[in-house]
Amino acid sequence: MASFAVYFVLNTVFVLAVSPLFMGLIKIVKAQMQGRRGPPLLQIYFNLLKLFKKERVVSLNSSFITLISPYINIIFILAASLCVPLVFIPAANYGFGNVILFLYLMVMAKFFMALGGLDAGSSFGGMGSSREMTISAIFEPVVIIVVSALVFVLNTFNIHQMFATTLGSSVLTNATLFLTAAALFIILITETSRVPVDNPETHLELTMVHEAMILESSGPNLALMELSHAIKSTLLMALLINILVPWGLAASVTPLNLLIGMLTFLLKGSILAIFMAVFESVMAKSRLFGLRTFFILAFALAFVTIVFELLV
Amino acid sequence: MDNEKKIPANLLLNKICQDYFTRAEPNEFYLPVSEEAFAELIPQLPKFETLLISLFCVENFAGSTGFTLFYVLEKRRAQNFVILLRRLNGNEASSIAEYFPSAGWFEREIRDGFGIEFTNSVDKRRLFLHEGYPHDFHPLLKSFKNRDITENRKSMSGAGKYLFKEVKGSGVYQILVGPVHAGIIEPGHFHFSVIGETIFNLEVRLFYKHRGLEKLAEGKTPAEAIIVAETISGDESAANTVAYCLAVEKIAQGSVPERAGYLRTILLEMERIYSHLGDLAGMNVDIAFPVGASDFFVLREEILRFNETLTGSRFLKGLICPGGLKRDIDSRDLFKLYSYLDSFLRRLRRAADYVLHNESVIDRLDTTGVIKKELVQPLNITGPAARASGVGIDNRIDHPYGIYPFFELAIRTQEKGDVHSRFDVKLSEIQDSVEIIQKSVSALKSGSVLDPISLKDGYGLAVVESARGQNLHWVYIKNGLIERYKVRTASFCNWQSIEHAVIGNIVPDFPLINKSLNLSYAGTDL
Repeated sequence: MASFAVYFVLNTVFVLAVSPLFMGLIKIVKAQMQGRRGPPLLQIYFNLLKLFKKERVVSLNSSFITLISPYINIIFILAASLCVPLVFIPAANYGFGNVILFLYLMVMAKFFMALGGLDAGSSFGGMGSSREMTISAIFEPVVIIVVSALVFVLNTFNIHQMFATTLGSSVLTNATLFLTAAALFIILITETSRVPVDNPETHLELTMVHEAMILESSGPNLALMELSHAIKSTLLMALLINILVPWGLAASVTPLNLLIGMLTFLLKGSILAIFMAVFESVMAKSRLFGLRTFFILAFALAFVTIVFELLV
Repeated sequence: MDNEKKIPANLLLNKICQDYFTRAEPNEFYLPVSEEAFAELIPQLPKFETLLISLFCVENFAGSTGFTLFYVLEKRRAQNFVILLRRLNGNEASSIAEYFPSAGWFEREIRDGFGIEFTNSVDKRRLFLHEGYPHDFHPLLKSFKNRDITENRKSMSGAGKYLFKEVKGSGVYQILVGPVHAGIIEPGHFHFSVIGETIFNLEVRLFYKHRGLEKLAEGKTPAEAIIVAETISGDESAANTVAYCLAVEKIAQGSVPERAGYLRTILLEMERIYSHLGDLAGMNVDIAFPVGASDFFVLREEILRFNETLTGSRFLKGLICPGGLKRDIDSRDLFKLYSYLDSFLRRLRRAADYVLHNESVIDRLDTTGVIKKELVQPLNITGPAARASGVGIDNRIDHPYGIYPFFELAIRTQEKGDVHSRFDVKLSEIQDSVEIIQKSVSALKSGSVLDPISLKDGYGLAVVESARGQNLHWVYIKNGLIERYKVRTASFCNWQSIEHAVIGNIVPDFPLINKSLNLSYAGTDL
């Protein structure tokens, strides 16, 4: 119980603290790729602080949904964050860690974000929500298959136990994990609205997906939406990292282990963030209806994993 | 000016198509026609590859009282323009939009400016005056004086609601975008009717930044009005100023020194280069490929800095004037430009190779936003947009001006009319422009750059190929002052093409299609 309490506090604080960092890093690397200098690494923290201090401007057409949806959204995301150990694996997890629970906590968060987008009644919010839900509906079977592949390979539904398994063995014993990791990367890109699925930096309201939903948000509401988006991104990154390269993840709670756990995660997360930024920079956004090719790739990778596991 | 009122319409038609368009002199042929001849003539004209490139109104033209409508006609591969003069009794006229769809916007513009009603017109909505203006407000009438109109705002009744053409039915919904956008761009309202993401209809509403430039020019001396021409569209200032000066020089029968002719050409081509570079970069930004865009942005910035070195203005303002140029350009700077352009070309090709070898980019550009070749003539689509649809028109060749006749110019065309074609056309045109500039620098001899003109009264038409296409300027000077100044930029024509180009495309592709056409809002809304 004590272990879980420590985990509860530490994991939540850590994910809140580091998530904006990776976002900032991606921004810098993308800027460098374009020959620009990019914002300072910590700029995104200052932006969030600024937004928290600003007033909330709300459309006259909006209801209480606009006011509460950012809070509900971040609560669901933080709850989901308990399913993914970033630094150490607690001894007991009290049901947190179930991969299905994890997925649908994130879907709930997304649902409230989409609802918030619709609520203001502007055409862009509705368009963004509609696109986000369309993509989600198409993408959900893919996510389920990828998760099934993970469950097949690691023989557990619990993310905590998955990490414990990968930590205890070499990735080479489960070589199919490489395939699943590639599929997880596609999930990461899609769920965090990055190129080629969406363009996080666009000002063109007609092309937006995620940005259109939060176009009407302002002040603390916008800060919460952006923070929850950053956390979601970090969670999916952690899932990928700790499945493929879990080294450094602490299995027991000692200050040294925790420190090593944090530093190694920061390092691995930064490398992944740089990779994401490069990946995003070398291609254009796909056509909205061309996305299925990208999704099918994840589906195929996961499917092959399952077939291999069944054959072995 | 011949008086052709007595000639029957079919004979007139023959004369127009066989003679007036191709006659050696003059370059513009004014032809007064009677109402009856006009009514018989107009339905015949579109069959002879004739286009209506402009239609404007002049009040109290050449001693007459009342309104005269000027129908400016162009014929493909013919050097001359034929301008039909239609004198109106009163303020009513019949619409010709049925035969020349491009007349639609012109007629609405005239209705707003002069209060002339086009009786059988299908679209009687306002164009540049929005609903806030009262019914009898017609700023281009001579009786209207430029003044502060805020005092009248309270009493303005407004003209009711502007009705958009909407596709209705189950599953169809409307997306209203603008005039205020999420980014820092010019104002325009876009009214989409869509099913899912597929666009079934788009209607564009512009004219949110009307500055009254045509009215502003009236009463100014030709020298004073240069600044009006420069202001029409910030990134077309060289083209518009040259067109204005050409018209004034034509009226004054003045000439431009050879050196000034070459220097003007260099400026015009510099403008084309930076404009096209902005488009190539912009298309990459709009498909979320900023890495591909950055090389074009860097090149564009370098060209803009060269503009500043050459002229003192990044957007080439303040140098061109009737009779030549106000100042000479230092030859050392021009030689620097010459050698810079060599490395510029290499880097341009490298940047283009990088972008065009990326499969995800090609996938976005291909088949997106097709403008059909058949639309080019009726809508009078001009410039790179027309060339990308397989219509080889270029005013530098079709109606040569300045020193362009000394060059062997090629027209770059593509067949498919999609965004990719427009990308390719603009890319090749940049390379052609570099060649023209380098040849001009080589051919440049020292000499004066200004041949002061002696002002005369009269009127004249000039067309210039700006980066966006044909810009048409008509200047009427009376008693040494500008009596009427009509400008029709390429954007005014090409804006109407986007409503057709987007049909069947999906909403997220609209910004890309828009960028590939590079339409100026300010240039449309004088």
